[in-house]
Amino acid sequence: MAERDHALLESEDALLQSASPLANGLGVTDTPLQQLIRQWQNERYAPEILAGHEAALNVLLDHIRRQSDTIQHLRNDPGSSEDEHFRIMLAQTEIERVKFVVRSYIRTRLHKIEQHARLIVDTPGLQGRLSQTELNHAQRRFAKLTETYFHMSVLQALPEDQRGLDDDAAFVPPMIPEPNRSHSVFVHAREDCPPVPLPDSNFLTMRKGLIVLTPYSVIEPLLADGSIELV
Amino acid sequence: MALPPSLRVSFSPQELELIACEELVEIIPLIAMEKTAFISGAYGPLRPPNKAKVPLWMAMNLKLKKKCHIVAPDWLSVEYLQDKLLQETNAEGFSALPLRFAEMSKVLLDVAAEDIPNSDKVRSLLKDIREVRQAKSRDGLKKIDHIELSLANLCAMEINEIRPFYTRAMDVLTHLARSPIADV
Repeated sequence: MAERDHALLESEDALLQSASPLANGLGVTDTPLQQLIRQWQNERYAPEILAGHEAALNVLLDHIRRQSDTIQHLRNDPGSSEDEHFRIMLAQTEIERVKFVVRSYIRTRLHKIEQHARLIVDTPGLQGRLSQTELNHAQRRFAKLTETYFHMSVLQALPEDQRGLDDDAAFVPPMIPEPNRSHSVFVHAREDCPPVPLPDSNFLTMRKGLIVLTPYSVIEPLLADGSIELV
Repeated sequence: MALPPSLRVSFSPQELELIACEELVEIIPLIAMEKTAFISGAYGPLRPPNKAKVPLWMAMNLKLKKKCHIVAPDWLSVEYLQDKLLQETNAEGFSALPLRFAEMSKVLLDVAAEDIPNSDKVRSLLKDIREVRQAKSRDGLKKIDHIELSLANLCAMEINEIRPFYTRAMDVLTHLARSPIADV
């Protein structure tokens, strides 16, 4: 019994350690899970791909792994009590919940990467927002494979000057679509925010708790420092 | 497809419920449990009949196995909601309710109706409040322009409800307002 408790307490220490360096500038300590949930919401609503939060994600993935190991260990122990089964069940439930969030977050990013693969490959500024694996996926699978496919199936039969996939002709939409950064989003201020310029040259000042519907480009600078969240 | 089309515009109500289930509620446990480390934090120890704070998902889980009673949050009572309904019908803006009250009250009324005093009355009050607020949020559409629309105290579920129409409306207005020079 003492040994089993030790296993769970150990992970608690690890949790506290992992949570502390991630305190944000607001004087409030968010757990890695709360951070990820917020990132997940932001990513789902923002029209463009946001900077990835690999650190928080890795901490959580490590934690899921550790927690699963502990559960496995306890399950295999024939001497575990009724009470112990209960904790295992709760811990297992939580793991499934966290996995769902992680999966949905990654899928959201994947969707955006596949939509804008060419743009990402052509814009070094955007590449910093992706993790190495995401970048590989954008370059190899999406940009390269789809273009090879287009070439093999149609483009090679066309005259040479009509084969381009990035022509910039006047009066037609660009061939490389860009995210619509004036798409409107619902913003929830997590603290009082400094004024940001609006399209009509006025300023928007949000106090804590306010919810505003406004174009994404207006609040974009506030999103990075975590003073607002998209809801 | 990495993300199903239905999820691209908005969260689904189930996903919002999942997020709301991270909120803490008070329970009166009927079983004892040592302090245990979970991914979202350490909860416990549970020592009946002392109250304890746990996330809603855990309370729900324990409740369904009849291992605890849930203490209804302050805002989920007849007096509080009656007061809010009065404010809601008399004043113009939205009254202050927790951001995720709709999801939480649904979960609580679904699994723990017997732990909430006067749950039928609470249910009908919530429904009235919802109707008043819904009418107001639709009214907000009159004020929409291409710049910004402030909606204090709107809750997550209501935002989700009006999102597809409102964002689309604002996008169209933005498109119309964009200066013709910048467009060329």
